[in-house]
Amino acid sequence: MKTIVGMLITLSIIGVVSGGGLAMLSSWADPLIAANKKADTERAIFQVQPEAKNYKKIESVAYELYQVLDESNNPVGYALPWEGNGFQGKIRMMIGVTSDLMTIKAIEVIDQVETPGLGTKVVEDPFRSQFAGLNADPQVDWVKGVPPTKDNEIQTITGATISSKAIVEILNDGLANLRKDMKEGGVQ
Amino acid sequence: MELILIFISAAIVNNFVLAYFLGICPFIGVSNKLSSAFPMGLATTFVMLLTAIVTWLIYHLILVPYDVVYLQYVSFILVVASLVQFVEMFIKKVSQPLYRALGIFLPLITTNCAILGLALFIVLKDYSFIQAVFYGLGAGAGFTLAISIMAGIREELELANVPKSFQGAPITLIVAGLLALAFMGFAGMISV
Amino acid sequence: MKKQVSLATEYTKGLWDQNPVFKQVLGMCPMLAVTVSAMNGIAMGLATTFVLVFSSLIISSIRKLIPSQVRIASYIVIIATFVTIVDLVMRAQFPALSKELGPYIPLIVVNCLILGRQEAFSSKNHPGRALMDALGMGSGFIIALTSLGAVREILGSRTLLGFQVLPDGFEPWLVMILPAGAFLTLGLMMGFLNFMVLRKKTREEKELLSRHLQEPKMSLAKGQEA
Repeated sequence: MKTIVGMLITLSIIGVVSGGGLAMLSSWADPLIAANKKADTERAIFQVQPEAKNYKKIESVAYELYQVLDESNNPVGYALPWEGNGFQGKIRMMIGVTSDLMTIKAIEVIDQVETPGLGTKVVEDPFRSQFAGLNADPQVDWVKGVPPTKDNEIQTITGATISSKAIVEILNDGLANLRKDMKEGGVQ
Repeated sequence: MELILIFISAAIVNNFVLAYFLGICPFIGVSNKLSSAFPMGLATTFVMLLTAIVTWLIYHLILVPYDVVYLQYVSFILVVASLVQFVEMFIKKVSQPLYRALGIFLPLITTNCAILGLALFIVLKDYSFIQAVFYGLGAGAGFTLAISIMAGIREELELANVPKSFQGAPITLIVAGLLALAFMGFAGMISV
Repeated sequence: MKKQVSLATEYTKGLWDQNPVFKQVLGMCPMLAVTVSAMNGIAMGLATTFVLVFSSLIISSIRKLIPSQVRIASYIVIIATFVTIVDLVMRAQFPALSKELGPYIPLIVVNCLILGRQEAFSSKNHPGRALMDALGMGSGFIIALTSLGAVREILGSRTLLGFQVLPDGFEPWLVMILPAGAFLTLGLMMGFLNFMVLRKKTREEKELLSRHLQEPKMSLAKGQEA
């Protein structure tokens, strides 16, 4: 009996000390982590909308969506964070698109866990720069092994076809959702 | 259909041992005989299934509602440790032969990183309860598969003339490397 | 009474004689998973060492207060607490690095190296000794992670710590950064190290033997002198 009480007391003391310490640390770290995340999003918005000077969050949709504005506060397009499945895990990216949602301005991958050196090439140029000015009407397509011939095509990366296709799929999926909401008047 | 894909993805395409390096310790330590590797795999699968269920419930019913997500590592590892203890007691009560077969492996499972990894991946991938169950089963099946194949190869290896400096861990790692290369053939078949 | 060794030895034994990776084959998950580059290896090694040092200090200080039935549970709670601290601090202060090491930071909890040292050493020794042991094992772990990371980074991406070290004409060996490459490289490295140790040992034995055969009287005389 005595040992059981001792065991319980020891474990409870350790648990309380550990929980209390972590609660204190987390109250310090949480705002910083949130700020890091916000900074990431902000950086990605300006990367996919080069002429943007400002942005505002659109609250009328269920997901995150930003309308970007130039220096005289005229809307120049949207920045849409969207995610989907890549080769090894989730890919989260920012899609920059014109106001009519027909032309891609640029894309920027925010989070990914693709194979280093292969799948991670989707984050870098020249793959990334293929998307600048790409026609997204009705959707983006990909070709493998040959240079693209149409204005809505990109070429996949050799050895990272799945990651490349994943990017295109996430892009199309995000835009399709946004277009649907736009048509139904959900975006204000 | 999606559930079957999750199962196959966790078992073969993204095998825990050969693609994520989880559960390497038992993979190298207990893989010298098929007769002990297979029960070890089964015991691990069972604990993985329970872990998937319990940690999912804890995360979604306690940690998230009370906003104490920072306690997830502490609570998950406690869950794993107590589950292993519980399974050990349960098996001992229910079936003596099974206990004799699995008994010595059970304590080892606590420090099998594949189990904690499973709990964390379920949170990371935002799986629903049913998806989590199938993911846990798939991960266990994948572990059993990997450790059994490895044990089969190592039994043959006993007869081979391995250079003295490569005996033991080095040759096991090299075999694991070749296995990982073979499993790469499944890469990208499914992405869930 | 166990023979007391000096504090310095408690530290240095972890570097090579009892190197956690090369000699004890512990802590393999992070060892293989994060070592695609030398920098990742250093970061993971430092994080692990931090957890190991503080857990060892605390556990060796309260070792007499913990009932032995719940010692493992107590150890893992203490270890998990320090891992959470590392995780929170990294996510708050070094977001880029924390993205890179991703889900492998929490897995420090189940790194058998850490729990192993608590069970084998901290629970039986006073804090100063446990500190030196933890620092030594941590340094040994960092050495192993960094060297594996360096080999894989040089051959797999032509760079070392981000600087290009191999010419453009060298086609990177992609397999090096894939999981298979991790297993193969570590296997070959361990085999090579064993080979060197074995060769040194046989050479020493041979030398001793030949000296003994050639100059039996000299060595005998020397022996008597000593």
